[in-house]
Amino acid sequence: MSQVVLSLGFGLVTASILALGAVGFTLQFGVTNLFNLAFGENMTVAAFVAYLARVSLHWNMWLAVAAGALSGAVLSLLIGRLIYQPFLRRGTSQFAMVMVTVAVSFILKNVLQIFSGATFYSYQLPPESPIRFLGMVFDARQLTIIALAVVSLLGLHLLFRYTRIGKAMRATSDNGELARSVGIPTDRIISATWLLSGLLAGLAGVALAIDLGSFASTTGGSYLLLIVAAAVFGSVGEPYGAVLGALVIGIASEVAANYNPQLKDVVAFAILVLVLLVRPEGLRGGRVQLRGEVTV
Amino acid sequence: MSPAIQSYAATLLVYLGVNAIACWGLNLQFGIGGVMNFAFILYQAMGAYITAVLTLPAATTQADQRYILGLHLPWPLPLAGAAVSGAALALAVGSFALRPRRRDFQATVMLVVSIIAATLVTTEQGWFNGNQGLFGIPQPFAGTLSLGITGYDWFFVAVTLGLALLTLAFTGLLTSAPWARRLRAMRENAEAAESLGVHVRAESLKVYVTGGAIAAVSGGLLVEFIGAWSPAAWGTGETFIFFVAIIIGGLGNNFGAFFGAFLVLGVFLELPTYLPQLSDANVEESLQSAAIGVLILAFLWWRPQGIFPERKRNLSRAIPAGARAVAVAEAAGTVPDSRNEQPRQREPDSHAAAAGTLSVRDLSRGFGGVQAVDGLSFDLAPGQVTGLIGPNGAGKSTALKLIAGAIAPSSGKVLVDGVNVAGWPAHKVARLGVIRTFQHTSEFGRLTVLENLLTAAPGQPGDSFGGALLGRRHARARQQELLARAWALLADFQLTAAADSYAGQLSGGQRRLVEIMRALMAQPRILLLDEPMAGVNPALRLVIEEHLQRLRDGGLTMLMVEHELGSVERVCDSVIVMAQGRVLATGTMAELRRNEEVLSAYLAG
Repeated sequence: MSQVVLSLGFGLVTASILALGAVGFTLQFGVTNLFNLAFGENMTVAAFVAYLARVSLHWNMWLAVAAGALSGAVLSLLIGRLIYQPFLRRGTSQFAMVMVTVAVSFILKNVLQIFSGATFYSYQLPPESPIRFLGMVFDARQLTIIALAVVSLLGLHLLFRYTRIGKAMRATSDNGELARSVGIPTDRIISATWLLSGLLAGLAGVALAIDLGSFASTTGGSYLLLIVAAAVFGSVGEPYGAVLGALVIGIASEVAANYNPQLKDVVAFAILVLVLLVRPEGLRGGRVQLRGEVTV
Repeated sequence: MSPAIQSYAATLLVYLGVNAIACWGLNLQFGIGGVMNFAFILYQAMGAYITAVLTLPAATTQADQRYILGLHLPWPLPLAGAAVSGAALALAVGSFALRPRRRDFQATVMLVVSIIAATLVTTEQGWFNGNQGLFGIPQPFAGTLSLGITGYDWFFVAVTLGLALLTLAFTGLLTSAPWARRLRAMRENAEAAESLGVHVRAESLKVYVTGGAIAAVSGGLLVEFIGAWSPAAWGTGETFIFFVAIIIGGLGNNFGAFFGAFLVLGVFLELPTYLPQLSDANVEESLQSAAIGVLILAFLWWRPQGIFPERKRNLSRAIPAGARAVAVAEAAGTVPDSRNEQPRQREPDSHAAAAGTLSVRDLSRGFGGVQAVDGLSFDLAPGQVTGLIGPNGAGKSTALKLIAGAIAPSSGKVLVDGVNVAGWPAHKVARLGVIRTFQHTSEFGRLTVLENLLTAAPGQPGDSFGGALLGRRHARARQQELLARAWALLADFQLTAAADSYAGQLSGGQRRLVEIMRALMAQPRILLLDEPMAGVNPALRLVIEEHLQRLRDGGLTMLMVEHELGSVERVCDSVIVMAQGRVLATGTMAELRRNEEVLSAYLAG
């Protein structure tokens, strides 16, 4: 039992990273209608930028995190503006768009690999003493990751709730057809979405690298599918659903890892498959289904 | 040639054959059917493993590898087993992965499946010897033929060639059948295909299973040649290489797929062997992968149809010139000039079998707290045109979708000739003769106008997987009949000149006409029209109106959502006004114009 409680703690850390990523992924999908399989590389780039800031430039870790997150935002905006939007404007079909994102992911991952080689990198953070809490064991870094996620998500919640641009994003994400018919997704909102989702990808990437202890050019890409699983679980395009998905998938996979570490991802994906069997469009399916029709 | 070079040449040819077979399988799935099989490599791997364990003798406890089965079957049974296993795996995966409507979701689920499978195969030592993989797999007839190494290599080239030709013939048979037309329609616009009676999920599954079997055969052949197979041979990234090959070669074109296999998998991946070595192998591989990404982007931007695009089918050539001329003369002789106000002289147009009746009772559907349709009830007069108007957001289009089964109602009934079809899937409702057209034009862009029309016609031999296997001759008589009907429609709508043009290249108004003609080819009993006049110029509007009136005279029941009130007034016998998800008023346009409530709803809306 205590083992399960212990893994619950790891689950919360994983869920925090997943939530950052899944909300970013889902927001981008909701507003731009693009299923972006290069999102993971966005995370990896941020992890490397934070590494350069921390290890090469000897910045404070907080500054390094900020640099990573910012680089994620800028990269996301650049790729969105220079590659995705021109293709979308041409009316490129849904499946061709997926291939476009795969191509971008190939390019980013391999360019990173050319510079980084096959080596693993670490932020070389000093060891921390464990902190016990309700039978769970954390170190300060893990608590920081959880706090980072909670603060970011609260900030997003406030943004969606109280600012014009946030409300417009959410309206577009909720019902693309309606929002488009009243002219909401202006260029500004789309740009803001690229930035915001990139920022979240960046945060998730650095948090992941900190949590794993070491990372390489393939780290973000292989983590992406967990993020997609969380996003699909809560219906893609639904930021609040994504948080729920992140919690369920994060905790379930860590509890499973307790029994057999190899099965960690398998359990996460099994949950995804089950959800799809019961609700093909995710738990909060109705709205996405509507959008799916419009964009066929 | 020295034996080493011969051996090398033979190896390249076998690889080319194996890759061509694989690409034809993927082309069937993705190029024709639009199913993004991001687990493609898994099927090749499945075929390889199954072929290996069916060829190998039972594993002994002392042996240095562990695996299941070990049946030691004679050739070609292991390959047949591979095909069956590929099909079975595709059936299992497809049953859930094809459930989401969006192709990109499906693709992601398949990618996930591929990764899970790789993890399991690597961890489960007892299945296929885990991470080390299987080795020492005997080559077919290697013991009985005494050909020497080079001789045997050429023998294997011949075997590969035979299987490749077989696959080509098989996929060619499928892609030339009416079934493939339906698949291509589904690829272009799944929702529209569904609305014409195509069971998209079932057809996707069939093409997925067929492609899975073909991929598995390619894997089986490969393992028979190289004699070993391990998880390192089928990284998830390999799937994308196959996609790149057929995208560059040409989607939907078997020659294009072959050329892509040659160019990408042969030349591009083999080329570095001949180039001076770059610093180290890892960098080289990364450069190659990055270059593949650039290639995808370049092709999707400059040449999205690939080097050899899908072959255009000029079906009008199959219609005898005499028949064509007669149809055109008939249409020209009887259609009055739409600009002068002459009374209609034409006989009623009876595409419908018999007027259908439609009743809607307490129909409701909400989206995230908004009740789009809220207790809607009305009856359609059989053989009449009923208008459905109302301010934006009144729920008109949603009502149409609910009736047609595109979305399921949360409560209420839709009675078609007394049968409650509420909650039925769209393809089933369509087969009852309830056909809808779309608010946004929904033509099948990369199908010609004639193909668009033929796709909709029910009851064609050869429009199913089984029928396709019976060959083209089997479907020819009915196809001639349908072509004649389609041509008559085209003559009627004065679009014969565009018969062999891709529908996606027509003007907005012409695409509307294609959509209406396509709906008529489905022989509807109830026609649901979602803003047929949207984006149509005034002259064409009159043409459409004239046709709708003639269809009405022929006994077709119609429900028309329309904002163009002039058209509604001229065409509709009665009009239903919707506001906030329910019926506000019914009557003729003249009556409604005097109705205060209706006027204020429009002003408020």
